[in-house]
Amino acid sequence: MNEVLKVEGLSAGYGPLRVIHDLDLVVNPGERVGIVGLNGHGKTTLFYAIAGLTGWQRGSILLTGKQIGRTRSQGPGRYTHQIVRQGLAIMPQGDEIFQGLTVEEHLDSGAFTPDAWRTRKERKERVLDIFEPLRKLMRMPVGRLSGGERRMVSIGRGLMTDAKLYLADEPSLGLAPKIGMAVMEALLAINLKDSAMLIAEQNVALLEGKVDRVIGMHAGKLKGEASSSFRLSGNR
Amino acid sequence: MDIAFIFVNAITVAAIYGLIAVAVSITWSSLGLINLAYGFIYSFAGYSAWLVATYVARQYLDPALHPFVIAATGILAGALGGILVCLVVFIPLHDKPAFTSRGMIATLAISLIGSQLLLMAFGPTAKSLPELFGRWRVKFMDITLTADKIGIVVCSALMLAVVVMWMRSSRRGLEIRAMMMNPHAASIVGIGIRRTGIYVMALTGAMAGLAAVLLSQTYFISPFSGLTPLIKGVSIALCGGLGSIQGAVIAAILLGLVEALTNKFMGGQYVLMTQFLFIILVLIVRPRGISGLLDKAREQ
Amino acid sequence: MSDATTPKTYRWKNPLSAWETTTGNDEADSITVADPAMPWQASKGFKVETHPVGRLKYFVVWPAHGARTWDRARWWPTRRNFLNIKGLYNRKTAVAEKKILDRKPIYWLLCLIALALGPILFPENQTNALLTAGATFGIFAAINVCWTLIIGTASIFSLATYAVVGTAAFVTSFLSIQYGVPWYFLMPAGALIGLAFGVLIAIPALRLDGFYYALLTLGLNELFRVFFTTSKQFGSASGGLYGADSFINPDWEPLTQSYVAYYAAFGLLVASLFLFRFINGKRLGRVLRMAPEKREAFAAACGVDYKRARITIFLATSTALGFIGGFYAAQYRGVAYSIFDFQTVLLGLAMVTIGGIGRAEGAVLGTLVVIFLRDVLIEFGPIRYLIIGAAMLAVVLFLNNGYFGIRKQFNAWRAKKRGEWRSTRAEKGGELLPEEATEIDDKDHLYFRRYDKMQRDYLKTLIKPEIIEEHRRQPLGQHSEALERVLLYFRRAKMEDKYALRSAGPHGPYKIIAFSGTRGVSPRLVDDREFVTLDEAYHGVFMRRVHDLLES
Repeated sequence: MNEVLKVEGLSAGYGPLRVIHDLDLVVNPGERVGIVGLNGHGKTTLFYAIAGLTGWQRGSILLTGKQIGRTRSQGPGRYTHQIVRQGLAIMPQGDEIFQGLTVEEHLDSGAFTPDAWRTRKERKERVLDIFEPLRKLMRMPVGRLSGGERRMVSIGRGLMTDAKLYLADEPSLGLAPKIGMAVMEALLAINLKDSAMLIAEQNVALLEGKVDRVIGMHAGKLKGEASSSFRLSGNR
Repeated sequence: MDIAFIFVNAITVAAIYGLIAVAVSITWSSLGLINLAYGFIYSFAGYSAWLVATYVARQYLDPALHPFVIAATGILAGALGGILVCLVVFIPLHDKPAFTSRGMIATLAISLIGSQLLLMAFGPTAKSLPELFGRWRVKFMDITLTADKIGIVVCSALMLAVVVMWMRSSRRGLEIRAMMMNPHAASIVGIGIRRTGIYVMALTGAMAGLAAVLLSQTYFISPFSGLTPLIKGVSIALCGGLGSIQGAVIAAILLGLVEALTNKFMGGQYVLMTQFLFIILVLIVRPRGISGLLDKAREQ
Repeated sequence: MSDATTPKTYRWKNPLSAWETTTGNDEADSITVADPAMPWQASKGFKVETHPVGRLKYFVVWPAHGARTWDRARWWPTRRNFLNIKGLYNRKTAVAEKKILDRKPIYWLLCLIALALGPILFPENQTNALLTAGATFGIFAAINVCWTLIIGTASIFSLATYAVVGTAAFVTSFLSIQYGVPWYFLMPAGALIGLAFGVLIAIPALRLDGFYYALLTLGLNELFRVFFTTSKQFGSASGGLYGADSFINPDWEPLTQSYVAYYAAFGLLVASLFLFRFINGKRLGRVLRMAPEKREAFAAACGVDYKRARITIFLATSTALGFIGGFYAAQYRGVAYSIFDFQTVLLGLAMVTIGGIGRAEGAVLGTLVVIFLRDVLIEFGPIRYLIIGAAMLAVVLFLNNGYFGIRKQFNAWRAKKRGEWRSTRAEKGGELLPEEATEIDDKDHLYFRRYDKMQRDYLKTLIKPEIIEEHRRQPLGQHSEALERVLLYFRRAKMEDKYALRSAGPHGPYKIIAFSGTRGVSPRLVDDREFVTLDEAYHGVFMRRVHDLLES
């Protein structure tokens, strides 16, 4: 009952395309779980399915015991904000940012619960401690930042509330290796307490040994845990 | 005295039409909806204020309270009308294909139905509201400013200031602005499109309601009286650039000036013509209005 | 076959041991092997409900071939066929049949005949009222057909259509009253005025985006109304400008006058339909179909001058609208201010939307509905405007493109739902989705994939560390049942991507290669690992195949 996320029999896709096939996943409190897989194997779709952004989905998704998955197929994103408000922080792939808002307003927009809104000053300080380079860009419109800074902003935006589950979708994608490493390190430095974090990544090397578990994802299914898996190629 | 009088008149009217222009602008930029039902909201709010003024305020209330009660009724009725439009048009349509054109046609349909209903309920005779601001006047450098003119300008400036402040500093305002920029990302940070839609429509409806109360003291309320303010408001919003508040304000003042000058030098029947020539000229030079390029508005 | 639930205790007996194998393994240990028929029985038992598969397209099939004859028949003097007919032979019975691929011309013809013969069928006591309504319908339908050309084909969202018509009507009435211009000059004069106004209001359309232009034209409409009601020349107390010359002789009987008005308006409607056909169905319309909204930049990059096409259409249509304005003045001996009313624009928009924007049939049907409600059901009073408004609202809320878009919308919705349902049911890897399946001609292929999927599912249950260990110890020779079944499956693999060994010398070392499956294309090296002994290499290949099996 005390799992942060419990996914059972989840299938999801877009139109006639089925991307995720009967997937089960359990994430425990305080855990960082890496999901590794190639392009097009359903990592992002898994996150979208948790957030209710896929075309259709079916199966059960329990976020701290509350059912947020539903069999549904009316347009994506209809219930996303309600799901997000139950304690989800999404750090999306690509640039899902508000071009014209400044960095500060951007961080504010992440604080969507009344409690977080009241304490947004301290929260911003905490985010800035992690992402030091943002401190002098606070008044800058986000549209003018570089890719790495944008990613920092979008991750920082996710950190503004006390989420129960953080979803970081390819935090290092499209960034220079060094910056990608820094972003990843910042993600790993977050004190999770009893929440949990899912990190999707193509580059196993960035995750190896730094997260609690690494799960492979292949063709819409999870492929065991790399740390304890029965490796067929082990006898090479 | 003459030019000053006309100028003051123009500013007064511009203040009211500016309210509707800002309402149109905000609705377009945050919801992507061209709301042409403000004419109906305007008449609806006017009639509500009239009902309260004749049947409630006159019999039960202290005369000192009248202006506040009537204005509040107008604003509340306007907000209600806005919420109605949101529930009927925005919420069912916002994720359908060709939302912009369908939304516009749907708001036109609402104004068709609404004005017919008002016609059936109240008949074609025009009603007028009592004067809210009394009958005092101020002499200022040999210009006589009557109470209603000062009241109108002050009230609409106040409303605009409140709206702008609220948009700048509150959480809801931030949500609305975030939704203007990127509706998809907004849903990711927990901003509900439908709920924000209701806030926006209530706010803009309240502005139209206030405009109705302010204008109906000098003009009349009739089922179709919302048309002129709507068209003026839309033209100002267009000229200022849809989606920009400061653009709308600048355009309102400029068009007021054009109106005053035309009145002075050419005669009253050319006002609309010169105004539209001005708007067309502005739009040909800058297709997105005076400040359509200043800030990054919704591109659709 | 034994029951799958009771496991056998396996000692695998070598059936060849009577011939004395070299390695001497008459018997081998075996893990529990489930019944191989199990997946078949599992998939044979219908647990899920079955659904109809494939795509249905209903065509009325007519007897006899006749396509050749129909192909030869043309509209003189064009090269256009009367009907698009496809002749074919029934696949089962080999009987000649034909299909009418596009039945719209037939429907159009029937509807137009009905409109032409309508007056005969009108009830006696209402003939006059219905003829008047019919004349209004004809003119408004003509206007709306032109308007749908602007909104739909040219995608310029102009709301100033009635303003153009009204202006042309006012100016021509004025000319006729003031200078005695006869009625047959009113229409060309109206066309000229329409063209002039079209040029005037097309200038902003060049620069503005769709909805900016819609709002601007809304204002222009109001401007025209105010101008005509307040100006000295056109203004009068009678609510309009009347007294123009008309082709309807006032000395005729009233019924004759109505008949002439009706058929003149009908002729106008037919002419506007031809205009629609010649713009929308020809080069201009096709060019613009390549440049739909939001993809203009792409079309421009392909060399489509969409702006020019749009403006051309806009000007041509404005001319036509001016012509209609002149006709209006000639038919009604003048025009009322109400043509500039916001209400008129709203009703016009209702007409266009109810039928569906961008289609001539939509404009005509919408006009029919609205005019019927407004002019025929007069006893309903103001409620009829509510009905029109409600119909417009309902159409806009629920339909993507009016009445004539229902079919497409429903088909799209059904396809989407069906796709979703099927993809939630389908299992990846083995069976094809029904959509794909209907498109593969070789049905053997479908059955093969289905069988193969079942077999793989079964074999996956047999892959255990025990059999891998067994194979490692002894790749060749007699094996336990489980391993033997797996190996038999592997041997049957297709040549494409089949693994093989390449030895560098007579006794190794060995590397794994994979066949290309195509004659003349050399095998590719799978990886660089070298195996010293042949048995090790055999096992390497085996491990690869096991891996592939588990991945599939």
